Amino acid sequence: MPGYYDISDILMEDEAVSVVFHVGANGVGLLDPGTETNSVEKGAKIDLPFWLAHELCRRRAVSITIPSCFGQKMKKDVQADAACVDLGTRYPYFYEFGCKLFPLVGDKSIGPFLRHTFANRYKEMLSKSHTASLNAIPKFVLRLSKEEYQLFEAARSSMVEFKKWRVRDLGLMKTTIVGHKRKTDLH
Amino acid sequence: MYARRAAQLLQELSSCEEGQLPPYNGDKFDQVIRECEEHSRQFQSLIRDKDIETKNEDHYGSFIHHLSIIRNKRCLMAYMYKRAEVIQSYRWNVGRVLPREIQDKLNFSEQEYFKDYCGVIDSYMKDLDLDLTVDMVPPKDPYIRVRVLSEIGEVSLGDHAVSLTKDSFHFLRRTDAEPFISQVLLHSIILMLNFECVIIF
Repeated sequence: MPGYYDISDILMEDEAVSVVFHVGANGVGLLDPGTETNSVEKGAKIDLPFWLAHELCRRRAVSITIPSCFGQKMKKDVQADAACVDLGTRYPYFYEFGCKLFPLVGDKSIGPFLRHTFANRYKEMLSKSHTASLNAIPKFVLRLSKEEYQLFEAARSSMVEFKKWRVRDLGLMKTTIVGHKRKTDLH
Repeated sequence: MYARRAAQLLQELSSCEEGQLPPYNGDKFDQVIRECEEHSRQFQSLIRDKDIETKNEDHYGSFIHHLSIIRNKRCLMAYMYKRAEVIQSYRWNVGRVLPREIQDKLNFSEQEYFKDYCGVIDSYMKDLDLDLTVDMVPPKDPYIRVRVLSEIGEVSLGDHAVSLTKDSFHFLRRTDAEPFISQVLLHSIILMLNFECVIIF
C-alpha cells in the first residue's frame, strides 16, 4: 500500500477527473475558469485533481464521471491490440488510477477491464524485457505505464545479473592462460 | 493554486535519477507556503461566525480550502523526506566530505542535517569500535593475498605462525590481515593477474 511519503502515489492523485457538483461551493471560484463570481454553482461540470474529487465524492458533494481512459474508445483499442496501446504518454498511472477510481464510480466493469488489459500486455512485455539490451531503450518501453515499467526494469536487471553470474568463473581462466606467456616488458 | 505548484516540485524531484538530487528549489517551496497561507485566509473568512453543522455553500468552499492545505502539506513533507533519504545515502555511498557539486544542490539546513547525521553515525561506530562504511558489499573471498611493506617479524595467527619479512607475499585470512592493513604495514593485492606477471619475470 502506498504510504504518506510515496511520491508516485502523490503524483498519481494529481490526475484530472471530470466531476459534476451536487452542491454549490463559495470562495473557490478558481476551480471553475468560466465563473464570474467567486463560487461554483450546483450542477457545474469541472475538472478537478483526483485527490480533491476523491474526498468530495466520499462526502457526496460531487459525482465523478468516468474519464476517457476507461471509456468505450479505450476498450475498443484494447480489444484490437492491447500491447500497442500507448499508456506511457497518455495515462502513465493507468492501473493505480483505475484501482482507486473503481470504488467511487458505479461502473463495475473497470476491474475486469484492467485485469484483461494487463494480462494481454504482460505476455509481450515479458518476452521483450528478457531479451532487451542494456543500452538501447526499445521503443515499446515508452508505451508502458509506470507500474509496467518497474516490472520491465526488474526483468532487465535480473537478466544482467544472470549474465554476470554466468561469466564469473571465466575471469580466473583468463588469468592462467595469460600467465604462460613470457612478458618481456613490465610496467 | 490547488497544489499545482507542489506537484511540480515533486515532478522535478522524481525526474532525477535514483540517488541524485536536483538543486533545492527554495523559490517554489516558498510559493507553496504562501499558497497555503492564502488558502488559510480564505478558509477563515468562510468559516467565521458560521454554525459548523449546516452544510451550505460556505461549508463546502471552506472544506475545499482545508483539503488544499492538507495536500500542499503532504507534497512538501514528501519533498523534504525524499531529499533527506538521499542525503543519508550520501554518507554511506560518498563519504564524510561531499564534493562541491553535491553541496551546491543542498540548502543550508540540509547541509547541517548531513553534518549531524555524520556525527550520529560516527559516535555509533565509535561505540561499536567498527567502521561500518567499509565493505558495503560482503567480500567474495575470505582469503586475500598480501605483500608486507615493513618488517614485522614472527606473528602468530590462529593456529600457525607466519614470518612477515619485508617484501614477502602471503596468503592470509582477511580477518587476520585486516589489523595490519589498517596500520599500513601490509598491502593487499587484489588482482591475481599482476601477481602472476611479477613471479614469471
